Amino acid sequence: MKNFWRCHVCGDIHFGLKPPEVCPTCSVEHAYVEIPSGEALNIQSGTKTETDRMGFLKAITAFAENNAFQVNPDRERVDMLLDGVFSNEKNHGLKYCPCRLRTKDFEEDIKLVCPCNFRIHETYKDKVDGECWCGLFIKRSDK
Amino acid sequence: MSKLIMFHGKECPHCRRMMPLVEKLEKEESVSFDKLEVWHNEQNADKMRSFKDLIEPKCGGQLRTPTFINTDTNGVLCGEVPYDKLKEWTLS
Ligand code: SF4
Repeated sequence: MKNFWRCHVCGDIHFGLKPPEVCPTCSVEHAYVEIPSGEALNIQSGTKTETDRMGFLKAITAFAENNAFQVNPDRERVDMLLDGVFSNEKNHGLKYCPCRLRTKDFEEDIKLVCPCNFRIHETYKDKVDGECWCGLFIKRSDK
Repeated sequence: MSKLIMFHGKECPHCRRMMPLVEKLEKEESVSFDKLEVWHNEQNADKMRSFKDLIEPKCGGQLRTPTFINTDTNGVLCGEVPYDKLKEWTLS
């Protein structure tokens, strides 16, 4: 089962089966200690971060920048999907994919949080003009 | 008469595209789909989840929208498809 880990030097939080060997922020080796989810939650709630629509769009655009995909230039489609992602967050707690339904099994449903691991979707992989199941991300033609 | 359901999401672009095709088919072939929105209606969502074992093998192992299901034959059709494919599936 995945757990939370905190870098005892710089405070980075990691969620996973095991912590990074080297902290990506402060570069210290073997710096992570396992913490309970409540501690991770308290650290999170004490930290103000941008969660609005523009912030999300900026984040996914930056995320796509160094990858072989981009945010779909079809603004209308993106707007509709962001409506869904944000209403799902409001109504169901996380930015769930608007084109798939959560099963109510948390471990499964975490895989539906946008952006998901769409590189494994048959609509994306092995396709020249592949896209995530919803079409929020599309393959770049120049990569 | 067979029982046809369309599970869809309000903010799902595939569902938005399929809706007029479903309505066209309903008019042309006198069939009728129960159109159940699943992200804003928990009862509909639970109904979709109740067909999990039927839907997942046909929909990439997930509860994707839109999903069409015939509860008499247990037939399942998943995603955005051309009108002819929807028609063929519905009438088969
Ligand atoms: S399929 Fe696309 S829109 Fe849906 S969660 Fe994945 S990345 Fe987001």
